[in-house]
Amino acid sequence: MEDSILNQGITALLGWSLPVIEAADRMDRPFLVVGPPEFQEFADRNEIAFVAWQFERLNEQSGELAELLEQKGVKLAVPIYEETVEWAGALNARFQKDPRIFNRSLLLRDKGLMKRRAQMAGIKVGVFEEAYNRDDVHRFLKRVNEALIKLDGDINDPVHVKPLSKAGTVGHRLIREAGDIDLIPDEDFPCLIESHLDGQEFSCEVFVHNGKIRFLNITEYVHLGHSNFVPASPELETWRPQIHAAIEKLISAFEIKYGIIHPEYFISPDGTLNFGEVAARIPGGHIFDLIGKAYGFNAYQAQILCSDPDTTEEELKAFFPKEVEDAKGYAGSLMVYPRVRLIQRLNVPTELKNDPYFDRHDMFIPATSKVAERVGFGNHYGTVFFYGDNSARMKELLLQYEDYDFYI
Amino acid sequence: MTDTAVQAAESKFEQALQTLEQAKPFAKSLYQTEVFQRAIDLAHTDEGLDLLKTHAARFDAAGVFSGGPWEDASKLQPGFVGGSLKLKGVNSVVELMSELRMLAIARGEYEHPGVTADEARTFLNEVMALNLNFLFPAETEEARIESGEHLERANRLFRLLSRELSLKAISRKIVEEIDRLTTQRPIMVGRIVNMIRTAEKMLEEDIDADTRSSLEHYVKATGTPTPFSERHSDLRDYGRFLREASEEELLQEAEAFARMMHSTGLVSAYHATFIRHANRKNHDLIAAALGLDDIGRAFLDTQHELVRDMIQVAVTPETCQILYGFAGMLNRGLLSQDALLPSLRRLFEIDIHPDVHKILLSEEHKRSGIGPNAVLLGGTISVLGQPLGVGQGLNPTCQSARAISLWSQHAQNQLLEYIVRAARDNDIDITFEGEVIFSSQLEGGVAEEIHQELDPVSKVLVPHLDKIYNEMMKRTLLRLEDGHKWVNPAFYGEWIQRGFINLVDPLTGAVVNFSAFVKLFYATHHPDYNNGYELIYPNPVGIYITNVSGELLGLHAVSIQRVAKDESGEWRIYFYNPNNDSGQNWGQGIEPSVKGHGEFEGEASLPFAQFVARMYAFHYNPYEQGDTYMVETEIVEEIEKMARESWGVGYTWAL
Repeated sequence: MEDSILNQGITALLGWSLPVIEAADRMDRPFLVVGPPEFQEFADRNEIAFVAWQFERLNEQSGELAELLEQKGVKLAVPIYEETVEWAGALNARFQKDPRIFNRSLLLRDKGLMKRRAQMAGIKVGVFEEAYNRDDVHRFLKRVNEALIKLDGDINDPVHVKPLSKAGTVGHRLIREAGDIDLIPDEDFPCLIESHLDGQEFSCEVFVHNGKIRFLNITEYVHLGHSNFVPASPELETWRPQIHAAIEKLISAFEIKYGIIHPEYFISPDGTLNFGEVAARIPGGHIFDLIGKAYGFNAYQAQILCSDPDTTEEELKAFFPKEVEDAKGYAGSLMVYPRVRLIQRLNVPTELKNDPYFDRHDMFIPATSKVAERVGFGNHYGTVFFYGDNSARMKELLLQYEDYDFYI
Repeated sequence: MTDTAVQAAESKFEQALQTLEQAKPFAKSLYQTEVFQRAIDLAHTDEGLDLLKTHAARFDAAGVFSGGPWEDASKLQPGFVGGSLKLKGVNSVVELMSELRMLAIARGEYEHPGVTADEARTFLNEVMALNLNFLFPAETEEARIESGEHLERANRLFRLLSRELSLKAISRKIVEEIDRLTTQRPIMVGRIVNMIRTAEKMLEEDIDADTRSSLEHYVKATGTPTPFSERHSDLRDYGRFLREASEEELLQEAEAFARMMHSTGLVSAYHATFIRHANRKNHDLIAAALGLDDIGRAFLDTQHELVRDMIQVAVTPETCQILYGFAGMLNRGLLSQDALLPSLRRLFEIDIHPDVHKILLSEEHKRSGIGPNAVLLGGTISVLGQPLGVGQGLNPTCQSARAISLWSQHAQNQLLEYIVRAARDNDIDITFEGEVIFSSQLEGGVAEEIHQELDPVSKVLVPHLDKIYNEMMKRTLLRLEDGHKWVNPAFYGEWIQRGFINLVDPLTGAVVNFSAFVKLFYATHHPDYNNGYELIYPNPVGIYITNVSGELLGLHAVSIQRVAKDESGEWRIYFYNPNNDSGQNWGQGIEPSVKGHGEFEGEASLPFAQFVARMYAFHYNPYEQGDTYMVETEIVEEIEKMARESWGVGYTWAL
């Protein structure tokens, strides 16, 4: 045992996340957490090995962290959230003596670079540009709509803006007209602007080890930022072979070897896949929890396993169930945003609580009844979890309660 | 919830608790949410709460309180419990679970290293004493405005605690509370009787002598108040005794009933049995049994037949409480008004509208075979005898309650007209600026629905009055002045003074000219400044209701009944508060008094300046006004300071 632990080395979790710490703790593998200093006390109290670190931009001190971790016997770094992806890249490049690991990680941190790389690899993407100011966005909106032969007075086709280095839907805005552009805050520039892609949106959570797909989950978005469920409905799953192929292409284009990727696609009714974006971190929307509920394995542990080059084929085989077939049911989540400015009370209908698909919810009346203004897709206030064995019913429920006022 | 639903909720709670139990200490917070959610579901019923209690010994070890302010039971303060329970968020359920943990310690089911069973019991007793309102939910403005599921849950918790603990330690406080409420002589005494019934159990405990004798007095007043009623096991038995009793015994009984009723404002069912007996056999005993004064006796004699019939129709053991109002009505000499007599008689037999019929009769009435006319007549007697005992219950209808109270004092015929009209036609009409408004043609009032814990007259009238009042206010919406200026005289009656001032500018919502407002009130209402004009009719004024910290809770309608000096020579404002619980603490040391400062039955009072510091609107007679410049600046400044630091915090103050 002593030997194997030494051989294995210590895994450093970059970022503070209790579910991840818990998952690692249950894996019987030595780990430490690199996180913001405010967690030091909590870590000490709970005997969690901890290295305090401020993850801001990579800088000349980055080497300091690598040295510190090496001294502690760290052999592997696993990123927990968007901001730590490039840190993990830098650290793993050093631990594994492969500088390109770092450069690859940067591709995933810059939405402009990411799109270019995908396009160069022949992956179908929308029209995009980088915007450094509002004029760029104005021009892009105009040019896209000219290209669509819209006349003055026609309703514009929308475009999307996303800050280059922010995670997921943070700062994601839909732009339809000039007025929307004025609302983009200065700090969101530079950003990526891209044309609107029609079609059903979905995401994949792909566990990759040694460049191979070990488990491919497809998460069906009922409504981006509001509701999704796992595994996808049989209708979407019929495209699994095409999706699988597209992801293999993505993996090879981005030279991804280990860990998790979380790409988003749009699929048109004829099966054409348009690539949205890809991240190498834990997805939002409670997707990991949904995977756990549907398949019964801990996705956080899966990420750690797949991040480690030393994990054996046997371990991987034993860990992952068979996609779709082995799912025990459909697990869905509905993210709830208050639609009132002042929350008076919580209104969870008995009908919902009595529905056999209702699993649980985590809504309380927040301590401050005033609702924060929503920026982009913003943060949800609570989540309702569903679980059941029919995807159509799941979709129906998610749609039904999407417009329900849980906070009144 | 059905039994199976409660069981399902318990098993889900159990699962969540177990998951939490199994989590490592650092991961507790991941699973606490689910435990709190399931606890909320379970605590939704009394049975569920009982089940939740059975798990309480495990809470600490499972980590329910890990990482939060409730973590260490030995550091908790009873004083914070009430506040936490009133929070809407997750903390109210954590607090509730913390009390259940304390109960488990008190019961010896859980041994805590820092809290002994005795200490836990002391803690809970103090919590109970500090929060009687949870045990006996009040019909106050605060309770009404801040209602919600979390508060119902807290009420449930206190019911459970009262069953689990001895009430000994809080007995004194409860008796004080009963004293305070009965002093105001409300018509609706259900809550007081409930408190007495709950507190009765404390008589078996070792409590101090004063508390015991007060409590015994209340228990007797609502049970067997006389020597012979005590000796008879039920009303039938007592009825038989009355037939055999001697003149002397009957007179003693009559006087004992009267004494108990007037000392508490509460009436026993035996009293009704006695009165009915006297009504049939020996009319002379009625005056003694009602404790009538000379006026009351005079009208009892002159209106002998009407009184006899009213008793025959309206007084039964179930409606015994109306006897207090009956005595009041006779003593007020109301039966001297010739027009009132046929109006009262009319109530015996009018056809009551089916919808009104439904709301008038409680299940208890139906079981006892009491008809709607009897209930309505009884209710009318109560209102006529206790004008300041009218309450709004849990409804936001202070204006309507105030109207009924005003009419009962100064326009009894008008009141009777409205009662008959509403009961028979389920409609009321009031003319506003030349146009007749019919309540039956209106949708929606101030209150979304009328809470039915009301006296019969209010049950019948308030739905109509509320709609009409609301409609009148709507019609004044665009006048750029507070609509009460026109609505109040039309709604309440022509004696409402035409001068009117509101310190808030309806256009900007800002407080304007506060000092002028104060000076005008002094110059029109304060005997030292208003050239000695007395207040003739009650003045309907608007006040800000604030909580114990002086924070604004909402607007409220009260009536100034009179202005007078108290026993120490201080000028006070005596007022009627339709919430029937006037002795609330309004913060900044402003605590309306209900006795001991010369208050009449049902009145509350405050020193003049303190009242003004909470007022925002009043009527005045512009022809009876002293000189505003005579009002000292210091007085205005003192009041303005109190206003600015309490309700005024949320307002813009225009210069």
